[in-house]
Amino acid sequence: MNWSALDWSILGPAFVAGLLVLVTHVPLGTQVLDRGIVFIDLAIAQIAGLGVIAADAMGLPEGGVAVQMAAVVAALLGAALLTWTERKAPQQQEALIGVMFILAACAGILLLSGNPHGGEHLKELLVGQILWVNTTQLLWLGGVSGLILLALWRGWISKLGRFGFYAVFALAVTASVQLVGVYLVFSSLIIPALATRTAQPNRRHPTAYAIGVVGYALGLALSALMDLPSGAVIVWTLAACGLLWVNIHARFTTA
Amino acid sequence: MTKFKSHCMLLAAPLVLLAFPAHAALRVFSCEPEWGALAQELGGNLVDVSVATNALQDPHQIQAKPSLIARARSADLVVCTGAELEVGWLPVLLAQSGNAKVQEGQPGNFAAANFVRKLEVPTQLDRSQGDVHAAGNPHIQTDPRNIALVATALATRLQQVDPAHADQYAQRQADFTQRWQQAMGRWNAQAAPLRGVAVVSQHKAFVYLYDWLGLKELAVLEPKPGVEPTASHLQEVLVSLKKTPARMTIYSAYQDPKPADWLNRNAGVPAVKIPFTVGGTEGAKDLFGLFDDTISRLLAVGDKP
Repeated sequence: MNWSALDWSILGPAFVAGLLVLVTHVPLGTQVLDRGIVFIDLAIAQIAGLGVIAADAMGLPEGGVAVQMAAVVAALLGAALLTWTERKAPQQQEALIGVMFILAACAGILLLSGNPHGGEHLKELLVGQILWVNTTQLLWLGGVSGLILLALWRGWISKLGRFGFYAVFALAVTASVQLVGVYLVFSSLIIPALATRTAQPNRRHPTAYAIGVVGYALGLALSALMDLPSGAVIVWTLAACGLLWVNIHARFTTA
Repeated sequence: MTKFKSHCMLLAAPLVLLAFPAHAALRVFSCEPEWGALAQELGGNLVDVSVATNALQDPHQIQAKPSLIARARSADLVVCTGAELEVGWLPVLLAQSGNAKVQEGQPGNFAAANFVRKLEVPTQLDRSQGDVHAAGNPHIQTDPRNIALVATALATRLQQVDPAHADQYAQRQADFTQRWQQAMGRWNAQAAPLRGVAVVSQHKAFVYLYDWLGLKELAVLEPKPGVEPTASHLQEVLVSLKKTPARMTIYSAYQDPKPADWLNRNAGVPAVKIPFTVGGTEGAKDLFGLFDDTISRLLAVGDKP
């Protein structure tokens, strides 16, 4: 193995990005799993992307604040829509989320057919790559994650009811997907929460965090040592850590 | 246990070699295989070339690997196409590398497209035209005359960043230029029957090839990369092909041949895959093979009356 590849100055920012994503996604993931709406993150990310394409089509200035605002506004509108559908048809919520994902993706294609420039923004938004993160992005993500964590902890979100959950979710996903991409957002959300489903309630979050942190660290190290794309390796190490934990946990509880 | 250890050592041996590259060599980081191959031709054992993308990858976008940043960080010279081809990832990579030598505008940053006459430079920048490159079409490597121009410029640049070996670079360049001129004479003679042959492009990526060989582009199947062509566009293509039939549809090895196959089924126009860059096909092992193979593939279909 090429141990010299383990360069902290290259892997460090990516690891910090992973930790910041985990901070919000682990608690949100347990809620998503309990509600049985696993694909909501894909739908929200796609709707945020649609907002960016629409902003571009309307001639708003490219890049920076305008694009971020468009993404957040679209994601919040999506959250409002999801709140409404959950009230009207709670049994069909998961199917409706799936339909919304596809509709947003196809609306994007239709808008892009007249303006392929938006495609670049969409790609930037959905296919973030964890190794490319810079300090400014980390500071922003840190700010957003800190606010969300504070809101979760102080119980502000439960006061807002259904919309509170969807709105916070929309903000968290929009912020993280641009840095680490859709695959990592999905895995950070679902895998730790899924692996700790049977854990005792008061131990669930610490365990899920541990799985996530080990998964990211291992994935980044492996991707450096074996020279493979980092995001995809981390998805696999997260799953491996989750599986390992489930096995250990099962053995200890049956013994 | 000893068996396990010996296995580990066997596995580790080649990796150890990888970990200690020759230190004296000039480290060249190239974005696309064609420039890696050219740097190797011009630098020989004076350079240690690494290539960011392989021939079957879309050079517009790549997956971030830690080694990419590490290689950009230690590079003495970055050789890329420029003209916005790598705009999606190279600026981020260079910023991330923190390597002052290879930032834009430095001698260690070489953009091949700056040294050729670019085609399809939009006369007016209008967003309604869709995915246009403001700097012109960046796929310059499909014309060997461009390779010759870039070779001259790159040799000069190698001498500039590694002056201790300037004589050797000059010698290698003279040798390469002579072989390249000979090969170009051969290619021009071989490709003479292709002049004026009507073709369809799968993407707008071959304008320099057409300019060199005198091929006539009748239509483009997917005018906007990544966006499905509309039904009316495909209909237009079919109608125009009825009026003036095309001999073949050309697509690059890294692209999905589905659109070209579709046209083959619907209009009987055979699809021809060309390597597009070094490594794209079995025959395109180096820069010479790239054009040998491209021309023989075009002639296999285009030479018939």
